[in-house]
Amino acid sequence: MTRTVAFALALVLAASVAAAQQKPPDLSGYWGAGRAGQVDPQRVAQLPPNTVVLRDAGAVEFPANEYGGLRVKPAALAAAKQWKPADDMSISRVCQPPSIVYAMQGPFPMEIHQGTELIVMKLEYYDMVRIIFMDKRGHPEKVPHSKVGHSVGHWEGATLVVDTVKVSASTITNNGLNHSDNVHVTERFWLSADGRTLLGLQEFEDPDVLENRGARFMAWDRVPGEFVLPYECDPSFALNYVK
Amino acid sequence: MPSRLTVSVLLALALGGGGVVAHHSFAVFFDDTKSVEIKGTVTEFVFSNPHAVITLTAARTSGGALETWRVETNAQTLLRRRGWTASSLKAGDVITVQGWPSRDGKNYMRMRRVLRADGTELGAPPPAPGTDPSGERR
Repeated sequence: MTRTVAFALALVLAASVAAAQQKPPDLSGYWGAGRAGQVDPQRVAQLPPNTVVLRDAGAVEFPANEYGGLRVKPAALAAAKQWKPADDMSISRVCQPPSIVYAMQGPFPMEIHQGTELIVMKLEYYDMVRIIFMDKRGHPEKVPHSKVGHSVGHWEGATLVVDTVKVSASTITNNGLNHSDNVHVTERFWLSADGRTLLGLQEFEDPDVLENRGARFMAWDRVPGEFVLPYECDPSFALNYVK
Repeated sequence: MPSRLTVSVLLALALGGGGVVAHHSFAVFFDDTKSVEIKGTVTEFVFSNPHAVITLTAARTSGGALETWRVETNAQTLLRRRGWTASSLKAGDVITVQGWPSRDGKNYMRMRRVLRADGTELGAPPPAPGTDPSGERR
């Protein structure tokens, strides 16, 4: 009898340990300004063929006519070349937020609030809020396009994998190159070994615009006790340039 | 059914026809291979996003005519973390601004740092070049 009870307890303990090991990491908290993540050769090797890693994450921005190795289809390239920087400096355009394709890699902080069925990413940049559904739902056909799109996620071990569609057309590189409404974004988020850094890999494909795929490595450092600030973009800023 | 050319033109219009922008690009607007420093008197300070703006009068050369300059800063939220507030500058303050010039030659520049008349720096100094995770250029 005693041996039976001991065996049962050992089974319960083993199951608890296994469950604890499988429990996803908690990404909740404030993550300081985004920066370029170190390019991981192992993860690069796992990327689908025809993917280029863009080196413009964080504070880096490409100059005019530089797209980081993205092969742009003729119509989209023509549109990019027609773009003039001053076009963005108008009251009607200066406060239009980018989509997550550009916003996630920028040098701004974010908060993550993690539940079991939802994960919320609150970006400081343009006050954007992303909801990632973790309840195994798919992408609804009728969901409208938006700059954050519709995101569903799941865990692959300790890595959060997020799949996003229905992202409104917006900039890719902030220099005239835009993705279409048909862009498809896949992101992976995981913690560094010490838990202090959130690492991210963004992949995107847009057959309307690109002949290849793009990827970016990103990183955010944990800062306890901080919060994102309201962005509250003021369109009158654009008037300063035309004065 | 539209021809391939028509589809291309429509796609180009859809992608380039406006409404898909973010804030303007540092790399496209400012020349980071050059630097500019102006000393002048503040006439207005607007502490907002996507960038705060300092307006001041300054002469390009010693004894030269006074001109109006507009200085674009980092995002206001990033400045707040460096200790700036809406009352950091007021009309009449004499300051020196170091930064990068606009590529188009306008009296418009991007701030790297601001020094008060007594030489003290306004807010925490910007990170050393190449070490800046928060993006001194955004």
